[in-house]
Amino acid sequence: MSKKKKLVVQNVEVTFILNGKKVTKQIRPSLLLIDFIRDELSLAGTKPGCLEGECGACSVLIDGAAVNSCMYLAINIHGKNLTTIEGLSDVNGLDPVQDSMIKHGAVQCGFCSSGMTMSIKSMQIKYKKDKKKPSKEEIKKGLEGNLCRCTGYVKIIEAAEAVINKVK
Amino acid sequence: MEFDIVTPTTKSELLKAIKTNKNNFRFGAGYTDLILELKKKNVLNVTVINLAQLNDKKFNSIERNLKFIRIGALVTASSIVNDKFIEKNFPVLQQAANNLASAQIRQVATIGGNICTASPSGDIACALVALKAKCELLSSTGKTRTVSILEFFLGPRKTAMKKDEILSSVLISLNEKNINIHSGFIKVGTRRSMECSVVSLAYHIQSDKKNLITNVGIAIGSVAPTIRFAENACGFLIGKKASSLARGEKEEFAEKVLKYASPISDIRATAWYRKEALFNICKSILEN
Repeated sequence: MSKKKKLVVQNVEVTFILNGKKVTKQIRPSLLLIDFIRDELSLAGTKPGCLEGECGACSVLIDGAAVNSCMYLAINIHGKNLTTIEGLSDVNGLDPVQDSMIKHGAVQCGFCSSGMTMSIKSMQIKYKKDKKKPSKEEIKKGLEGNLCRCTGYVKIIEAAEAVINKVK
Repeated sequence: MEFDIVTPTTKSELLKAIKTNKNNFRFGAGYTDLILELKKKNVLNVTVINLAQLNDKKFNSIERNLKFIRIGALVTASSIVNDKFIEKNFPVLQQAANNLASAQIRQVATIGGNICTASPSGDIACALVALKAKCELLSSTGKTRTVSILEFFLGPRKTAMKKDEILSSVLISLNEKNINIHSGFIKVGTRRSMECSVVSLAYHIQSDKKNLITNVGIAIGSVAPTIRFAENACGFLIGKKASSLARGEKEEFAEKVLKYASPISDIRATAWYRKEALFNICKSILEN
């Protein structure tokens, strides 16, 4: 690997909204969004799991919809609205999705939690826009890209159902 | 993983990027396959033509006229899932898109990527074969040619696309007027989510007011080197009454579809299992 010719590539300027604030950065063109978020923006709440789009621990919201940041080129964030787990809560407290996760005991080791939370948030935004109450099956489907190895999913699904459909 | 990247934002910039980089480039749109591939191979000296910021109506939108619907190559799986016209008129396509990977991946994965990867297990691609879609290929000279999707797939990861061409969009003929459609996508896998299919079946059957079948598209995935269109099985159904097929006829239909399958045994399933599953799901689509 080290014998191969080193590629000289120019940095690319990106401007985007990060958790509500406008940011401009110079980045390597082949930089992945997850590395950009963790190493350059120093936001470590987005977790690297499988790094191949299977586990969803790295999920972030781009324009309000969850994507895997491990398979997304950082330069393509240009002009978009990026929300990481750090951007969900504010000085007034946690996001309702986070509250629901806590209330339902949907967290054990916590490694999948930020990704799960982003996927649930993504669903909440989508169903609110569509003015639709999803069924349990639809909620499960919305979480198919997130793996949890501790909880058995039941409490996570309950937390999602409660916050999306506002049931007690 | 280190590579150079060009990001065209207009069609003319795109054509220029294809010309200047000659044969040594890869297209990147949703990146859900490409990043993994580049990571594994640790490819150097390849330029990625980044399509994610391209702004061109033909590539980016779903439009239709009286005869057909055109879906741009950069339209994402989730846009297809959410399109009401597609949901109503081409359930096979909507279901295939909705079966693809996970919500996060559907959000970025494009229809063009699913087609051009030319995987025998491509979900959206399988639906498009059943719908007898046409691929519109744009060459670096700016000319467009149209190729039937049946002729587009030459083998696993091999397509009829030339090195200076790009898939801009696909065309699907609209359904005939005043017909009933029986259309869907069945995917057999070892699990329900994030699954590469073991066998898949895409069907789109149109019948007239008398219930006579007028137009049929049947495609099968993961059971041959490419997605196959089961032409003889389609012909067999034409003119028959969908609601009153005898058991023997249903089995004959399934046998005819099976003629197009030449599955292999691999880590996901044996050839025997794939054939048995295919036979049964073929029969099942004709049950009422």
